[in-house]
Amino acid sequence: MTDRLAGICFLLLAAGYVWLSAGYTAGFGDPLGPAIFPRMIGIPAILLGLSLAIWPRHNADWAGPAGLLRQAAALVLLLGYALGLEPAGFLPATFAAVLGLGLLMGAPPLRGIATAAIAAAGLYLLFDRLMGLPLPMIGTWFG
Amino acid sequence: MDILASLWDGFAVAVLPINLALLVAGCFAGTLIGALPGLGPVNGVAILIPLTFAFGLNATSSMILLSAVYYGCMYGGRISSILLNIPGDEPAIMTTLDGYPMARKGQAADALAISGVASFIGATLATLGLTLFAPLLAKAAIYFGPADYFALYVMAFATIGGISGTDPRKTLLAALLGLMLGTVGLDPSTGVARYTFGSFNLYDGFDPIVALVGLFAISEILFFLEQKLQDGKLVPPGSVFPRLSRVKEGLGASLRGSAIGFLAGILPGAGASLGAVMAYSLEKRLNDKGSFGTGDPRGVAAPEAGNNAASGGALIPMLTLGVPGSGTTAVMLAMLISLNIQPGPLLFQRSPDLVWGLVAALYLANFVLLVLNLPLIGIFTRVLGLPAWGLMPLVVAISYLGVYAITHAAFDLMVMVGFGLLGFVLRKLDFSLVPVVLGLLLGMDMENNLRRALSISGGDFLILFQSPIALLLYGITGFFLALTLWLSRRDARRLAAETGE
Repeated sequence: MTDRLAGICFLLLAAGYVWLSAGYTAGFGDPLGPAIFPRMIGIPAILLGLSLAIWPRHNADWAGPAGLLRQAAALVLLLGYALGLEPAGFLPATFAAVLGLGLLMGAPPLRGIATAAIAAAGLYLLFDRLMGLPLPMIGTWFG
Repeated sequence: MDILASLWDGFAVAVLPINLALLVAGCFAGTLIGALPGLGPVNGVAILIPLTFAFGLNATSSMILLSAVYYGCMYGGRISSILLNIPGDEPAIMTTLDGYPMARKGQAADALAISGVASFIGATLATLGLTLFAPLLAKAAIYFGPADYFALYVMAFATIGGISGTDPRKTLLAALLGLMLGTVGLDPSTGVARYTFGSFNLYDGFDPIVALVGLFAISEILFFLEQKLQDGKLVPPGSVFPRLSRVKEGLGASLRGSAIGFLAGILPGAGASLGAVMAYSLEKRLNDKGSFGTGDPRGVAAPEAGNNAASGGALIPMLTLGVPGSGTTAVMLAMLISLNIQPGPLLFQRSPDLVWGLVAALYLANFVLLVLNLPLIGIFTRVLGLPAWGLMPLVVAISYLGVYAITHAAFDLMVMVGFGLLGFVLRKLDFSLVPVVLGLLLGMDMENNLRRALSISGGDFLILFQSPIALLLYGITGFFLALTLWLSRRDARRLAAETGE
């Protein structure tokens, strides 16, 4: 079943990709132009996607509800970490992300907090102070 | 004897203090990364690449660091296989078969010593092979024209999935997806913005480094959250001193395993895992009298020699042709390309200090690793007791820190997470990630070679099929595709017969 879905997704993606390539027109002097190569890879992808949708072979096992929830929470945390790194600063953002992910992976709360604090401070000291990679210690939110 | 002279110059590069320090650090980090379940050479190297950029290391030093990590992972993977029955990384799966039973019989020290020596033999012989064969292949590759390179890339994409028996359609789709992602951005020769949807952030395309940290490090976190968390039982190493007689039992198997692993490594797409599998199954076929699987020293030595030899072999096509033989070498290729160094036959002429410095460093790395993995093994066994909830979030923090340090843009962190999710979904659906990376990396070069060939011929596509080298490569590609298709059909049919569908 998942193979059928994957095949359909690839089919749509590749079809859209080839369709968009029609809008890319070349100037002069280039023998290939910007549209031919996308078509050369897009069209086989359409055919392979179609074949996968018609003759599926594999069915993926997804995690149970608890696992999926953990993964979704982790994804939110990862996106939040990406968006929050600059405004919040490296120390608070890393502390929150390491703590959150640690808890999702089954850390005992107190030891998780301690680990996150040590990790955030340790990485900052190691990379910013000792090895000279400039990291924003505290972001604009805090001053 | 110009090889010896070049190698001598290489040693002069490798023993520079900075390179020597990176070498030792890389060996240590690699063994650690390899020993930790869930992290393997691909993840380890992917996490380290942004850091090498951020610190402004030159290409030679970066390659020495990453190769030391790569070799180190191959040594480290066996530690948790033997003591925990959990492979530290993918190539170490075969080592659990006889390594863990040996540990349960109280022979953990023997098993660790046998596999350590086997790793040393495999890696050293492979480095020797690299020294001898890479210059030869580089000389042959000088005759490649643009059409031949195009054919070579077609072959690389068609064969990168290896003969692993997973659905070959998926391998091809993964490669095509990578190529599609590679066309995002400004077209280098016409300046047309393709697939950017008006976002200026995408004009430079996806940075391969950002993409592969996402694909390999972030997706691993999502994968990890899925498993039921269960800690394996750590078998105490028992007697500290291995018996020399047991180590000798594994020597023959190590030599045979090295030869097979080396060949598997050179083949595109096969890599270290296949090297280990092939070495173990050959050893079993030759010598099994019922002792394999219950703690036979030869069953420990063969796969370890195999995967270490394969990792050395995999460097050959990467350095000489610019076509990697495994996932980890694909990631290293990404780094070289990002440093504006195009691997290929000319690399040996233009940057001899990089090539020979790297080769010399690999010889030294083996000795460092032998010391780390025999007398100092105790440090690494202690690490296995650390909880995953403390280590995996650290991997995330280091990935973010590295990517942020080279791009200074939250947008790239979002791209990284996006690629992490993509990598997770693709792996769940049984797609391999290596073709995606390869497509992203080589797409632009493939298009450029096609352009060059067509401008030679004035737009005639027939030029692609006129050179004998290109035809030979297409022939090999066709044969390989037919073989994988046949193998996967056979596997599917066998599976259907077993499950009675």
